[in-house]
Amino acid sequence: MVRMPKRLLYPLLGAALLMPVSTSWALELHGRTSTQYLWFNNIFNDKKQAEFAQYLQFSLSDIDPDKKLSLHGYGRISQDVMNGEGFGERLFYLYADYRDLFNKVDIRAGRQFVNYAAGSALIDGGMVDLKNVGPVAFSVMGGRNVYYGIDGELTHAGDTVFGAAAYLTGYPATDAEISYFVKRDNDGIAREQIGAMFRHYLFGGLKLYGNTRFDMASENFDEILAGAKYFVNENLVLTGEWFQSYPTFDYTSIYSVFAVDRYQEGSFRADYTINHMFAVRGAYKYQDFGENTEGHVFEAGLKIRPIETLMLDFGYDRRHGYAGDLDGFTVDAQYDMTPNLQLAGGMAYDVYKKDSMTGDTNAQSYWLGTRYRLNKTMSVDARVQDNINVGHFRHDWSGRVAFNYDF
Amino acid sequence: MKKVFFICALLIYGLLIFNQQQSRAEKMSHKDFAKMELKDCNSCHKEQGIPLTHDNDWAGRHHQNTDWMGEHRALAGKAGTNCIECHSQSFCNDCHTGGGVDAALRTPNFKRNYMPKNHRSDFISIHPIKAKDNQQSCIRCHNQKFCSDCHARFPKGSLRIKSHNPAGPNNQIYAASNWSIDHSTEARRNLQSCQTCHPSGDVCIKCHSSGKTRPHPRNWKAGNFKDRTNGKVCVKCHLPGTY
Repeated sequence: MVRMPKRLLYPLLGAALLMPVSTSWALELHGRTSTQYLWFNNIFNDKKQAEFAQYLQFSLSDIDPDKKLSLHGYGRISQDVMNGEGFGERLFYLYADYRDLFNKVDIRAGRQFVNYAAGSALIDGGMVDLKNVGPVAFSVMGGRNVYYGIDGELTHAGDTVFGAAAYLTGYPATDAEISYFVKRDNDGIAREQIGAMFRHYLFGGLKLYGNTRFDMASENFDEILAGAKYFVNENLVLTGEWFQSYPTFDYTSIYSVFAVDRYQEGSFRADYTINHMFAVRGAYKYQDFGENTEGHVFEAGLKIRPIETLMLDFGYDRRHGYAGDLDGFTVDAQYDMTPNLQLAGGMAYDVYKKDSMTGDTNAQSYWLGTRYRLNKTMSVDARVQDNINVGHFRHDWSGRVAFNYDF
Repeated sequence: MKKVFFICALLIYGLLIFNQQQSRAEKMSHKDFAKMELKDCNSCHKEQGIPLTHDNDWAGRHHQNTDWMGEHRALAGKAGTNCIECHSQSFCNDCHTGGGVDAALRTPNFKRNYMPKNHRSDFISIHPIKAKDNQQSCIRCHNQKFCSDCHARFPKGSLRIKSHNPAGPNNQIYAASNWSIDHSTEARRNLQSCQTCHPSGDVCIKCHSSGKTRPHPRNWKAGNFKDRTNGKVCVKCHLPGTY
């Protein structure tokens, strides 16, 4: 297995405490460090686990006289101190971004998240955009495909992705893209897809949007989304969507040769802000699993702000039909006790039934949290949660304490 | 299919021409407004007749539950999108890959990774229901190996699956009377769940290899798969030279 470049990650995270010193340069440096202590029950060995984690996220700009080059990074190291899992690390991204080369080219190199209509990936590689050459701009990207399992990176040698896109530019009310995405592994081409997206504003209050992915090997649309959003006024938004998917698998997997059913769903949602104190929402989704099998999902919600510093959010969800039943609600509260002190808490209560052979079971979670801002750059977070009626723990306590420094 | 393509292309082209007539102004940068609360964006957008990208999130502090609507997917999927003007990539990462440098107080974590809003309640218990809803939703953030990596750590037979009951010493063998009906229906609707516990497909091949029950769909494009994998996926069931 190929691992991430640790020689880059560790010095970066280790330098977190030196960041305040470096901000005196002419360079623009912004970001956040977060030092955290987390505890939870490890479901795999039924033992309590506690870890220290150090996050660093930064953006460094104004490096060159023309201010075209910037560096961006985000990573985490962690150390288990109770359960023997040891050291962990994850580099979310670390890339250099050079913009407006000859006023036409943007270049991004390093670990980065790339996202085309045809596919998205975390890559160790590069992305180049060609722009200002007319109403259509172009993009190409490629590199090592990075993906994670529960505890770490699972990428194998030979895992790569490449893509190209052409997209509309310069139209204030219209976005459109057509793109190509190919993923390879050791056995050959694992995915090859063409994608398209479209969004357009009409009449000042209507938005049409959609995207699709077409699988080249099975010659099927593995996704189609079409939606419309109508802004009746600034307080009322109506949304309707239709979505269908045809599950596809890596071509190098035996599962890619099996017949599958198409899935479709139609959704409608309304969001209405009654006044400064009340906002309501409601939604319904119809699910069609094929062969006359269906599901129905409902959601209703209410947000209340009785005073400026207190916000309450109530949500109710109900689903029934194929795949099981779920009936539950959530309550979240957030109170700004002082400008620097925030208190929050909430709960979720769900009654669920996975299939006709199982009875109703309930899952509950309760949480409390607080955030205290020490000054403009430093804050402390604390959060604790208890899950009840889970399979492995009668009470599943977890939590975290974080010290955050913004620079 | 060609007709659908043609109609879509014609529709898009017509809308583009219409829009081009409406305005030739450049799309403006939003970098200077990145720190504003969403509710304050309304003042400009309403005057110019352009609806908000992020809707009327009245409190300006919580984005919509993206479990419900796929709109943000359509916009963020565009190469060169202007999300980057206000959001760093960590904003995407914190939901899609589990980072937590700026997690909201309401955001829980699974082990050291933070979970987005749509992983509600005790998600480990209710995820089988969610995973059957729309199979594409899981693989947007999780490689399929994420599922296998987790399920492989549980002893075989410890998970409860409808069609695997009730026969067998560990309740994990299909009942003979329901075999042909249940397993094919379940597999067609949610083949990814099979892959989760049987990543190599060894149990499928026992009955679906060459000369046995044909697993392929009606419009099966064998050549496409053969060409892309150099026949490696074919020889899992077929003898070389027989496919």
